[in-house]
Amino acid sequence: MPKSMVSVTIDGRTIEVEAGSNLVDASFKAGVQIPHYCYHPRLSIVGQCRMCLVKIEGVPKLQTGCTTRIMKDGMVVRIDDQEVRAAQEGMMEFLLINHPLDCPICDQAGECALQDYSFKHGQAFSRFSYEDKRTYPGKERIPLGPNVVLNMNRCIQCTRCVRFTEEISQTGELGFFQRGSRTEIGVFPGKELDNPLSTCVVDICPVGALTSTQFRFAERVWYLDKTPSLCTGCDAGCNITLEHRQGKIRRYKPRTNVEVNDYWMCDFGRTTFLSYEEDRLTTPQQRDAQGRMRAVTWDQALSSVHHFLVDGAAMGTVGIVARGAATTEEAYLLRLLADSLETPHRGVLREPGPVRSIPNLNGGLTGREITPNRRGALLAGLGPAGLGPEDSEASADSATSPGEAEKILGGAVNGAHSVLLIFDGGRAGSDNALSRPAALESLRQAQTVVVLGWASTALTQVADIVLPIATHAETEGTLVNSQHRLQKFERAFLPPSGVRTGVEALSDLVGRLRSDFAAQTVSEVFDLMAGETPSLEGISLAGLPAGGIQLPVPPE
Amino acid sequence: MKETKSALPEDVRNAITELRRHYPTEEALLLPALHFAQKHWGGWLPEEAILGVADELNLAPAKVFGVITFYDLFHQSPVGRHRVRVCTNLSCALRGGNEILEAVKKHLNVAENEVSADGRCSVVGFECLGACEQAPMMMVDDDYHPHLTPDSASKILEELD
Amino acid sequence: MAFEAVLLRRSSGATALEVPVGLKEYRADGGYEGLEKALSVGPEEVIEEVKASGLRGRGGAGFPAAVKWSFLPKSDDKPKYLVCNADESEPGTFKDRLLIETDPHQLIEGCAICCYAVGAHTCYIYIRGEYVRQAEILETAIRQAYDAGVLGDSVLKSGFKLDMRVHRGAGAYICGEETGMLESLEGRRGQPRVKPPFPAIVGAFGAPTVINNVETLCNVPHIMTRGADWFSQIGTDERNTGPKLYCISGHVERPGVYEFPIGVTLDGLLEAAGGVLGGRPLKAFIPGGASAPLLSAEQSHVPMDFDSLAKAGSMLGSAAVVVMDDTTCLVRAVYRLAKFFAHESCGQCTPCREGTNWSQMVLGRIESGNGRPEDPELLLRMTGNMSGTALCALSDACVGPVRSLVQNFRPEIEEHITSGRCPLPYRSVFEKTA
Repeated sequence: MPKSMVSVTIDGRTIEVEAGSNLVDASFKAGVQIPHYCYHPRLSIVGQCRMCLVKIEGVPKLQTGCTTRIMKDGMVVRIDDQEVRAAQEGMMEFLLINHPLDCPICDQAGECALQDYSFKHGQAFSRFSYEDKRTYPGKERIPLGPNVVLNMNRCIQCTRCVRFTEEISQTGELGFFQRGSRTEIGVFPGKELDNPLSTCVVDICPVGALTSTQFRFAERVWYLDKTPSLCTGCDAGCNITLEHRQGKIRRYKPRTNVEVNDYWMCDFGRTTFLSYEEDRLTTPQQRDAQGRMRAVTWDQALSSVHHFLVDGAAMGTVGIVARGAATTEEAYLLRLLADSLETPHRGVLREPGPVRSIPNLNGGLTGREITPNRRGALLAGLGPAGLGPEDSEASADSATSPGEAEKILGGAVNGAHSVLLIFDGGRAGSDNALSRPAALESLRQAQTVVVLGWASTALTQVADIVLPIATHAETEGTLVNSQHRLQKFERAFLPPSGVRTGVEALSDLVGRLRSDFAAQTVSEVFDLMAGETPSLEGISLAGLPAGGIQLPVPPE
Repeated sequence: MKETKSALPEDVRNAITELRRHYPTEEALLLPALHFAQKHWGGWLPEEAILGVADELNLAPAKVFGVITFYDLFHQSPVGRHRVRVCTNLSCALRGGNEILEAVKKHLNVAENEVSADGRCSVVGFECLGACEQAPMMMVDDDYHPHLTPDSASKILEELD
Repeated sequence: MAFEAVLLRRSSGATALEVPVGLKEYRADGGYEGLEKALSVGPEEVIEEVKASGLRGRGGAGFPAAVKWSFLPKSDDKPKYLVCNADESEPGTFKDRLLIETDPHQLIEGCAICCYAVGAHTCYIYIRGEYVRQAEILETAIRQAYDAGVLGDSVLKSGFKLDMRVHRGAGAYICGEETGMLESLEGRRGQPRVKPPFPAIVGAFGAPTVINNVETLCNVPHIMTRGADWFSQIGTDERNTGPKLYCISGHVERPGVYEFPIGVTLDGLLEAAGGVLGGRPLKAFIPGGASAPLLSAEQSHVPMDFDSLAKAGSMLGSAAVVVMDDTTCLVRAVYRLAKFFAHESCGQCTPCREGTNWSQMVLGRIESGNGRPEDPELLLRMTGNMSGTALCALSDACVGPVRSLVQNFRPEIEEHITSGRCPLPYRSVFEKTA
């Protein structure tokens, strides 16, 4: 049922909003922002900070915008008003009198609502000259848990964090203690803030009272470049902003997507970029006759791979296996490779993992696999040969029987496959389907193992040819999450020299097998894929909306 | 976030149980429950009392702690056998309330919120107790003592066990 | 005194826990006839009668009681509640304590009539935690009422069910604020709620709720038995009606609770209370509790009712009159009040949390002789930012005395600042000087 719209005039601009919207939300639509601290669209409205006071025609006292619901046409609101400005200055003054001058050492500087509003709405001088600022001795840097550090002196008592643990994570670790100007947030003595979403309180804290243990003192935010991306920690597909500087990722922050992760992401996801610099493969390698791995050029490596594949194809013993870490476009190229080699032995591994839950307005988002894009691989056709994308999707959610990829790995034991091309995408030292001793043992039986990956792993130790490819931060592409939603991520920075993107490497291989193959860029590969996938008809990579598109969900 | 169960003493649990039919929510039992628990634990709420009440009412410990630290009559550390509250608000101050507080502190040889060496008493200056016609006055445990002088206040304290 | 006590007819101003009036004695004096009358005329009539009486809230806000009652929805889908505000923490106020400890059934009857009028079957009497003995007295009286069939499944055999219970607070002035009280009743920190919605629509446990002060409710039985006309003819005018309890304390010979028709002047009240302590000159007074702006001795002729005091720049509030003689340093007095507000601020909202504390610090500085010339202006600007911006009225309450000090007693502040010391240092009450 469509919601009814009502009109409201803010500083002379009349706009239409859904009946029941509050003034703070409406103000964004009108192109003016009512300053606020305690209000958050997903938390209960408390009207505490008093920063959002505005003047409503016909109402004698200033009213808080967050608690004012627009129910009928004709409300006239003024923000650009002397009385409102005086109130804003007054509130800013009250907040600043006891706030420490920590900006030079505070992580929040540059993304601090106190800084921003004091510049925009505050006064340029202080009248608090002869009194001592309130402090919370001993609480300047207390870890509330493994991921969050509290500096109580900086807190402006907005209680967003407390309400988050009550209402969103529903774990109730944080409370509001004491009374009056002594009020403070904290955990029950002896307990910890330790739930899967705990770092979200750092995101929503308007000031630097709550900081992330991981990001503390890591980087000044104004040096960070921000790239819209996706978290690859599981198949939930949380939208993120990948923040980086000069080729080093500094932080993941959730990027709002109401259909997917809403405003949130989990603590684990925030750690997943940390391994992107460890044990990087920086050059193609090939095992020589003596069994030693030697650095080779890309041409040498690709040429060798090409020959091994062709030979293996002739004997009918080529297998192509991908972990669900491959992007949809990389998976599509793997499938083209398999088609060109006319091998039925291709597949993507299914790797269940810990359940990760992200609350949203539609019953929540869940990740159950440790790789982000198995469904994307199936969409690209890397499922069992002869299955179209929709049927592949249907098999995506069936849990029990080993898939084709598992069978291929198992078959390697019996020597059924002479050449195995494996797309890894795993972190050094991580536990996954291709790192376990049993899998590695079976791989040793195959004649030739080619691995595409970005880290030196147990798998690359047993490979015959290793092709170093880019992490997802160093390329662009799409992933399909547990909701069957296709989402894109952009490239943050170029891969290190010597490393190529998966699309570059695989396009080259496909091109050696098919003279008619011309796609080079990710976008071109996407177009090819879209051309043969009904649910992607008419969509291009550039045209893909920032929030992704929902693909048809296969029936149970 | 289920922790190990902290069981309240039976008399406290029974008192809380008896109250359940008078309130529509468990949460509403919190202040009465804390009063019962504090009485049982001799005037203050140690950690086991707090966790016990939290467990009994199925509330997060942080929430219970938030309530305790909000109110002046709930104590997180021992207050001695007797809690002395001397009113120092305006009407009592005009009639010597601050002098009474100083006299009491001197008599017990304590600073505010400190328990006397013999464990008998702690004292604090307090806000208006609603007995301004009795100024200056103080509250010792549950009773008001009106029209004090420094000497009469000391005498009252001396007679406490 | 020509005026015959109404609320204190059985109390005789007695204090310090004499034996309270029991149910039998109460009934013998005509008690619970008001409830019987109410049950016989019906709820709408009761509301009309109380409306016609002009009874305004005696807790501090002065809102017409029956108008508040009429805000409750008539539908039955949610239970309704009466929460009696016995939190009495406004400095200088002790009338509710006296009413409860001397004549508890008067309150019980008033609560019962109100509950019947609005359709509430549950009444909580929220009494401040420090009133331990008073809570016990009330609980005993309630038990007597249950035993006598005044409370329970069928009030006075009418079929109207009513349960009443005493709920103790735990020491927080802000729980005297309506929605702070509701939060506390529901088991939370006593932090006032955003309004709207108002308690009449969303109150205790999400249900329509009336909240009335003890004294307000104690008037109701008398309105029922003697009529709205009788009530409304007492007092100053049709907007300021009925008998009023005045608490007088501070520098006065006989501090206590005195009952007058609403609108007695300070002169009249002082006369009844024996005059300023020791016959000293009156310097200033607070007419209505710590939130009321200070008035100078020149205003001792102002009728102390809601409207006259408002016109004079102050407020009746809880009618807690605090008398200050010429030995009183008003800066120190207001500093102590600011300290009170800072201690009692719940801490939720910015202007109150920070402003009460800041004003306390500035006044403390001035009082100790470290004031600066810009301080009076600073206090005015600060209190200006605290008025009308906060979530509840505590912020405005602190503004009352602080602003009045600067506006009406500026020379006293200036003297502190220019001389660098307090011109009226504290003089011991107990040490006898030669």
